[in-house]
Amino acid sequence: MRRAGLLSLIAFFSLASAVHASEPLPKIGLFTTGGTIQSKGAHRLKLAEYSDGRVTPAELLDDLPELKKIAQVEVHEISNIGSGGMTTELLLKLAKGLNESLAKSDVAGAVVTHGTGTLEETAYFLQLTVKSNKPVVVVGSMRPWSAISRDGPLNLVNAVRVATTPAAIGKGVLVLLNDTIHSARFVTKNNTTRVETFVSREIGPLGFADSDRIVFYRAPLTIHTAKSEFDVSKLTSLPQVDIVYGYQEASRASVDALVAEGVKGLVFADSSPAYGKAIQAAQAKGVAIVQGDRKGSGRVLLSERTAGRGVVSADNLNAQKARVLLRLALTKTTDARELQRIFNTY
Amino acid sequence: MKAKSLSICALTLLLCALTAVAQEIPTVLPPGVKVPHIVLMSMGGTIASKATDRMNINNYGGKGLRVEPQEWVDALPELAQVARITLEDMRPPEPPESAQGAPTPAGVGTTFEQLYKVAQRLQELAKDPSVDGVVVTHGTNTLAETAWFMDLVVNIKKPVVFVGSQRPWTGISGDGPLNLYNAVRVAATPAAAEKGVLHSMNQNINAARDLMKTSAYRVETFKSNDLGVLGVADPDMVVFHTEPLRRHTFKSEFNIASLPAKLPEVEVLYAYTESPGHLVDSLVEHGVKGIIIDGTGAGSPAGGQGDAIKRAQARGVVVVATARTRGGRVQDTPRRRESKIIPGDNLQPEKARMLLQLALTKTQDPKEIARIFDEY
Repeated sequence: MRRAGLLSLIAFFSLASAVHASEPLPKIGLFTTGGTIQSKGAHRLKLAEYSDGRVTPAELLDDLPELKKIAQVEVHEISNIGSGGMTTELLLKLAKGLNESLAKSDVAGAVVTHGTGTLEETAYFLQLTVKSNKPVVVVGSMRPWSAISRDGPLNLVNAVRVATTPAAIGKGVLVLLNDTIHSARFVTKNNTTRVETFVSREIGPLGFADSDRIVFYRAPLTIHTAKSEFDVSKLTSLPQVDIVYGYQEASRASVDALVAEGVKGLVFADSSPAYGKAIQAAQAKGVAIVQGDRKGSGRVLLSERTAGRGVVSADNLNAQKARVLLRLALTKTTDARELQRIFNTY
Repeated sequence: MKAKSLSICALTLLLCALTAVAQEIPTVLPPGVKVPHIVLMSMGGTIASKATDRMNINNYGGKGLRVEPQEWVDALPELAQVARITLEDMRPPEPPESAQGAPTPAGVGTTFEQLYKVAQRLQELAKDPSVDGVVVTHGTNTLAETAWFMDLVVNIKKPVVFVGSQRPWTGISGDGPLNLYNAVRVAATPAAAEKGVLHSMNQNINAARDLMKTSAYRVETFKSNDLGVLGVADPDMVVFHTEPLRRHTFKSEFNIASLPAKLPEVEVLYAYTESPGHLVDSLVEHGVKGIIIDGTGAGSPAGGQGDAIKRAQARGVVVVATARTRGGRVQDTPRRRESKIIPGDNLQPEKARMLLQLALTKTQDPKEIARIFDEY
């Protein structure tokens, strides 16, 4: 770990001063899963409809000869899909692949390409399951690789720069788009189309990948990566957890249907009067219940009344991230108090 | 009732005799329960201001309309459950004439003399083993500057929490009481230690370095420029999400004990279309040691400033650029290095000014000053 950090430090400075050409560049694993960043449109004005072919990892690298001055990039292709199609199987493959690569002493860090739609879910999953202090940077783009004023190339270069930066070590899984470095714990997609879509509401970014240097202003305080208690090395599946949205006069039918389907946990993005009885029925069948919220920022407060009902508060995790954590937590325990400890910790 | 207030008086007298500055508030905690000892220091502000009627929330304060620190704790008996409070009054003397009707009610008059006094007192409290944390009230207009100054010159690991309010203590739906209660809760939280000087208003916890007032009247006025909150003071608990990485308090190379009686003079100039060079010349003539140019875009001087900066530098004046965009760093580019203008990072100009004043007490070397701007 320390050696890798030192190596990347040396490499970083040799890049900055462009003298010690003999120093080996840090080795970065590029784990590609697909997404808009690996998508092509029929022509360069196709910004929203771009299912006209995939960009291979080799094409990404061929387009970015500048990367050769920053790092030795080692490609690991996981998939080449839109992020809506991400599966548990692929998530486990990705986490295991990262753990194997990062365990090697000559690897300084990793970059993961991903579609932006569910990028925050995968990034948070990795935040909880990567067993390394080395930087892992998840990157995507809002415009396809073929588009006019595409954001992908700079995002990818910056992701590799961050992955080779000593200051990025120990900060958990990072998300980089639009020059901005976010913690996987706090980041969320905030706009359907703009390049500044990723934000960490309330909490803000950790730092920036500016042209002159990478700057970190903040370190996350929630437990992550090397200190996480979750281990996916022997897992081939994860418990089924689904999300139920709350709104006026929501019917309990969706809750009942999920329970009948055999779900192990439910995350509620807000509540509805009809859910009360449905939750009790679900709990009677051993289903874990997490109370989240649909507002997008602020914590679900801890209360004795909620705890007394065996319901777990989701802290300030959005529903999709609370689901990721609950699935992993259920590999360890079904006890509501223990689940609450986990939600208070990660 | 009478006997109780008598004994409080006696206790107060006794403690006054012992500490001279501090005044102890009796708590109503069950015996055996220990709460942290928090010093509540008043530097005044809207939170320490009254108006004659509660609908007056924009034209308050002045002679006879100040809230005494004791009035805060009297109005907030709940504080006793959170902390044992001692009060310190660091307000400037009350103005002789009524200031009611002044456009800016509070904070506007903070002087370096006061900053020094408060920093010295905070440094004493840092060493006082009986004190667990400090809350400082301040007018919101220049609160961020004062908090940043303390962040740079007080060597302290204990929580120091600045607080204010947007509405006067007497205002309808006043934000002061909850802000003050929460500030004490944060100061009493062990996790708040070693995070530098903090600010808590509107249930948020921000770092002094990044803190910025962004709205004249709204209660959510304070934001962390470019960044976000470190944590929140929610009703169930105080939670920290992140910690600041720049040097502060106990990691700072500056300390109040070793500062000169007067800091080198540094002034701020705004950049705009055809901003004149003669303002730069006037400041140089006046004898300033440094100038902050609050530049356009990524921190560029404009109009006649460019040439005037060269003249100023030739006379030994250090020039630092900030970005008037209030968001984004001023970067270290070859062109800027050639111009010998030091990047002010993403600091607001008023904060870059204080940092440059402190830096100039140590060095004139542009490289060394640039290092300081990179590290704080």
